[in-house]
Amino acid sequence: MGRAADFKNESSANLTSARMNETARIEVEPDPVPIVLILAATLRRAARTPKLAHAIGRTKGNVALKSTVDPQAATMRFGDGGVMVVRGVSEDTDVLITADINTMSDEHPPSPKVAGVGRHPKLAFTVSKLLDPPHGTWQQEAQRFFEFAIRKPGVPQSMRVVCTDDGSELTIGNPPAAYELHGSRHALLNVFCGNTVLGQDLLDGKLFAVGKLAHLAELTGRSLSWMLGQE
Amino acid sequence: MTPDTATQWLDSHEIAWVKTEGISIDGLVIGKHLSTRKFVSALPLGNAITEFVIGYDIGGTPFLVWWDEWRREALGDFHQRPDLSTLVVAPDRPHTANVICDIVDLDGNPIPACARSKLREVTDRLATHGLTAKASFEIEVILYEESYKQARASQWRDLTPMAHPAPLGYLHFNSRQQLRFVDEVLRRLDGLGVPIEAWHDEAAPGQFELNIDPSDPVTACDRVVRIKQVLREVALDQGCSVTFMAKPSPEFGNGLHVHHSLARDGNPVFYAPDGEGMSELTRHWIGGLVATMPAAMSIFCPNVNSFRRVVGFAAAPTVASWGEDDKSAAVRVLSRSPKAARIENRVAGGDANPYLVLAAVLAGGIAGIEQSIEPPAAQNVAGWGLPAGFPHLPNTISKAADAMASDVVLHSVLGAGFCEYWVNTRRWEWLMFHTTGGDPLATSVTQWELDRLFEIV
Repeated sequence: MGRAADFKNESSANLTSARMNETARIEVEPDPVPIVLILAATLRRAARTPKLAHAIGRTKGNVALKSTVDPQAATMRFGDGGVMVVRGVSEDTDVLITADINTMSDEHPPSPKVAGVGRHPKLAFTVSKLLDPPHGTWQQEAQRFFEFAIRKPGVPQSMRVVCTDDGSELTIGNPPAAYELHGSRHALLNVFCGNTVLGQDLLDGKLFAVGKLAHLAELTGRSLSWMLGQE
Repeated sequence: MTPDTATQWLDSHEIAWVKTEGISIDGLVIGKHLSTRKFVSALPLGNAITEFVIGYDIGGTPFLVWWDEWRREALGDFHQRPDLSTLVVAPDRPHTANVICDIVDLDGNPIPACARSKLREVTDRLATHGLTAKASFEIEVILYEESYKQARASQWRDLTPMAHPAPLGYLHFNSRQQLRFVDEVLRRLDGLGVPIEAWHDEAAPGQFELNIDPSDPVTACDRVVRIKQVLREVALDQGCSVTFMAKPSPEFGNGLHVHHSLARDGNPVFYAPDGEGMSELTRHWIGGLVATMPAAMSIFCPNVNSFRRVVGFAAAPTVASWGEDDKSAAVRVLSRSPKAARIENRVAGGDANPYLVLAAVLAGGIAGIEQSIEPPAAQNVAGWGLPAGFPHLPNTISKAADAMASDVVLHSVLGAGFCEYWVNTRRWEWLMFHTTGGDPLATSVTQWELDRLFEIV
């Protein structure tokens, strides 16, 4: 029978529970909306770097991200040694980032508008670092994503990835590869880091694939879960 | 009716075209217009239809974030197997017949996403307990003066209800204004063999309600589907519009209350005359209905918009409760009359798929008797405005999906495969709302909801 898509599979209770790092507590509101989950996932990725985890624990103030293309918005409330991410722009927001959230992951995205940076320069600078966390090579990130993805039945157990910039490639799992992905280094990094969703990248012509529709669907579901932080 | 007799029937009624009516997971009617030659040649499996029709959401976006093993790997075909007992002359088009279909695979097996087959599966399970069910629905609809074209142009806002603007209900002055419309609806339903028991003006301006005679569960749902189609078609023909949205405006909503009764050896199961108390079977049945209510909310309220209706003092129940003739309880038990002993579920919205609603209701009851679930105490207070500590029902599409995902009781009858599929589709709906223009902070119906649901649910 069907396999459960797990892009919203964690219970709200689990999502709202604290996720402890060495120095960072990252929480989300009850019954969170996607942008809240995405921001929390980004902050968790940042918290893998000790310096940034420490920054999350020390930062105080409220930073909101507001989409210019739809009603999506969320506020990161830093304080008490961690951060709580909630929907909407809080009234007591210190720094407001306004951006086209559909193009934020582009190679050359338009600059977001940032309000409040004059009064809260350190807060704005810290959050800009947190929202652009360090990443490994596309091969390292592909490996990390794949290890997560194959935990779900239905996902191809091997994958060949080709970087179209330089022809470098990686086969994950046991060959022959059941699925192939081709794309630029930037596009591969984006999808494997959880900045974009595989199926959408294919539709947008940023990635190309060779494989079955069923595999595409399952991998896209895992890609979405990856983006939403359902690790 | 057999394929042979169907051919004779088509000939004798001078039918040239057959409209096949399948039901999507969202309750939309999907199918083809077939020449009688094609229709007959495709029997008994029925015409092919792309499997893609069960692979996209109510907004037309493919469900491409999971895959079900029963799906065709390369987007091949399923079939619409006609239920020839539903073949009927179309009252609105010459030389045309309508037939309701199940969605089956190439071997004729119902696919898990076929809601009609799921309901039949549940009634078959009920029969193993020596029980038969009868059901009927209350269909609420709001009628507007504007045509669909005009309503689209105004983005479904500021429409003119075909009635006095005060929310009174049962007002014959309102019914009179709707007579031209309703008379044509009743004429066509009579032609389709759908027996209407009563109709009346309802509380929202422009809203009226149709009640159908009780029947076996699948027939009851077939009737709902045909009634909703006829209401839409007459609105199209007369230049007005209707909606079944659970909450098309900040003030008012449409429900889909469902009544069911059980019989064993012809005797009404729920009948409990004063002083004698209810049977153990009835107790367990109610226990199952209440226990599965949080998970079943995902089916009763399938859309983001559905939950705008489930608020206090708006006629829809908000806690998992039951009570004897208590309209603020989610499960209203009417046990005092042998002829009318029944249970009413008052939670489902007008946008819900009737087959799935009834399947979930009966599945809850069946689970109750199979697992000997005792009900909580009857609700003896008003079911609205209750504080924390009462068993409040999930109030968002995501919470309801989580409730169904973690449920085991409803799964035991509806099947894990179906429940997983359903949860996936609802989580997808959640994602679509939040990422394609829905406003999570809106306290009233959003443009996204109106665009997606007003015309077609």
